[in-house]
Amino acid sequence: MDILFLVVQQTMFFSIPLLIVALGGVFTERGGVTNIALDGMMIMGAFTSILFINKMHGSMSGQSLLLIAILIAVVTGMVFSLLHAYASINMKADQIISGTALNMFAPAFAIYVARMIQANGVQQITFVNTFRIPKVPLLGDIPLIGGFFFRNAYITTYIGLAILVVSVIVLYRTRFGLRLRACGEHPHAADSVGINVYKMRYAGVVISGGLAGLGGLVFVVPTSTQFNATVSGYGFLALAVMIFGQWKPMRVLFAAFFFGLMKTVASAYSVIPVLNTLGISSDVFKMVPFIATLIVLAFSSKTSQAPRAVAIPYDKGSR
Amino acid sequence: MKKLLVILLALAMVFSLAACGGTEPAPEGEGEGEGEAGYEIAMITDIGSIDDKSFNQGTWEGIVAYAEENDITHKYYKPTEQSTDAYLAAIQLAVDGGAKIIVTPGFLFEEPIFIAQEQYPEVNFILIDGNPHNADYSVFRTDPNTVGILYAEEQSGYLAGYAAVKDGYTKLGFMGGMAVPAVVRFGYGFAQGAEAAAEELGITSIDLKYHYTGNFDATPENQTLAASWYAEGIEVIFAAGGLVGNSVMSAAEAAEKAVIGVDIDQSIESDTVITSAMKGLAASVQSALDAYYSGSFPGGESLIYGADKDGVQLPMATSKFKTFSQADYDKVFTALADGSIVLKNDTDAESATDLGLSIVKITLVD
Repeated sequence: MDILFLVVQQTMFFSIPLLIVALGGVFTERGGVTNIALDGMMIMGAFTSILFINKMHGSMSGQSLLLIAILIAVVTGMVFSLLHAYASINMKADQIISGTALNMFAPAFAIYVARMIQANGVQQITFVNTFRIPKVPLLGDIPLIGGFFFRNAYITTYIGLAILVVSVIVLYRTRFGLRLRACGEHPHAADSVGINVYKMRYAGVVISGGLAGLGGLVFVVPTSTQFNATVSGYGFLALAVMIFGQWKPMRVLFAAFFFGLMKTVASAYSVIPVLNTLGISSDVFKMVPFIATLIVLAFSSKTSQAPRAVAIPYDKGSR
Repeated sequence: MKKLLVILLALAMVFSLAACGGTEPAPEGEGEGEGEAGYEIAMITDIGSIDDKSFNQGTWEGIVAYAEENDITHKYYKPTEQSTDAYLAAIQLAVDGGAKIIVTPGFLFEEPIFIAQEQYPEVNFILIDGNPHNADYSVFRTDPNTVGILYAEEQSGYLAGYAAVKDGYTKLGFMGGMAVPAVVRFGYGFAQGAEAAAEELGITSIDLKYHYTGNFDATPENQTLAASWYAEGIEVIFAAGGLVGNSVMSAAEAAEKAVIGVDIDQSIESDTVITSAMKGLAASVQSALDAYYSGSFPGGESLIYGADKDGVQLPMATSKFKTFSQADYDKVFTALADGSIVLKNDTDAESATDLGLSIVKITLVD
């Protein structure tokens, strides 16, 4: 039973950052701007917030420190994403190239600045993890569910799930969401009824930047004791999650948990009694999410839910 | 409005960079006492940064300590990528920069040094953790201007494994990075040390889970694996793979279990680190440099630094042992140093399960 709890708890560490970042991807792509710089934005968000945690260590700790760090991560991601928004919306640049540039810039910037401002001149930023909640009061005592979701948990898990709920409401139940989706499907039509396409796309990119920045922090905190200017390519994995989830928040949730579970199983299968005796190589588990993504893409390519105008710069003058 | 925003953003970036630049000079290519002759002692970094808390850092600290004491110019060069050509290019850069002696940490330099020792006969090379050979391993040759330094990592691992079992741990884990010779030696030594201590204490069974992560990074995968081991009952994990250790420490903090660090004293990184299987990187680099400058450079030789030359140790001052004492440590260390304990290393056994251990039950996890 403990192993089962562990698997679920570890799955959260993989899935929640993927979920948050992939939801960010949904917002920007639904608005018609593709954003492969999610990885870079995660790095920037993690960098500033972990640096903050590092500097504040001693004077603050626990959940209040984490909440401020979350705010910092979100703001950093938003500011950083403005570069991508400006290049791809105002300058009508190729969005892949702009995104690639940011992906290359982010780790370099994080390493350079970390070495400049840290007293010992090293690139790793260490932090003390005071954020883990061993057991949520009351809820942690519920049989089964308590063990799955309310022990050895982080507040970020619940924030991630809250973001999911808010995303669904915003995308499908608000005027803003409808307009954003319109700008990704047919910006000219949206423009013709008076929607400012540029503004909507800016909003989409900035939301994705904020969520990616947050995702970076959420990714690093439970799994290491320092930040080394990398998020192990999870920004790209989040893109795969987004596509696997067909740009729909609830499906993205499913995809994130599927990816997370497979990642957990691939790492921890040796202690899972059933799988250990099966004799399947861990490489198989590592491959499953990607093979599944390929299959889903192959079968859904005709009915793909990708926003029609994604990655196409909006030009008022065309047509 | 838009233009204003752009200008503001640009200014913010310029100022933030300028502000950063004001605090301290860049450590990248850091050099002390630059003279007309350039930099005498050069180091080429292996994969990973200069502050990897492991190989590069340990080597560089040795160089800096020696060079500053004797007022010699020194500088490190970072190859553009991990390839023989890139390493050779970095070596050429160092030679052009006036290097008289070049220190290269890591077995990946074996082939570049094999080429470079012939190409630059007037320059001396210290190759740490390897011996020069050609691309297909058919020719091993160490020229008179080169010295190869190896460490008896199995002795360091032995000390850690011995201490852990003596201290009451019976369920052990080993998480190495890539299965390179140095890491393999750590793992083999760890298993043999555990076996020896168990034999002395009369313990009949020790569990050892044995795994190579295939990387030297802190990733959620490594953290998950460590967490799953701890959940299954493993009490202490020997993390011999650079930053892999940080993932293990993170898992150990959550599970309130123990970690054994590697290469350098890692006790400051987490309270869960009970000790570290150290290699005397800095000390051996200093002694090699000292030999060079005193005219007794052991060119053409391959040196092995073990307990006899203080090449391995546990940092007893910062270790958190319950019962394993300094006297216990001195005893086993002396036995290693005088050669009364002989260990199998990476060339003696194909896999950890072939070590012929009877008490330690090794479970290979792939």
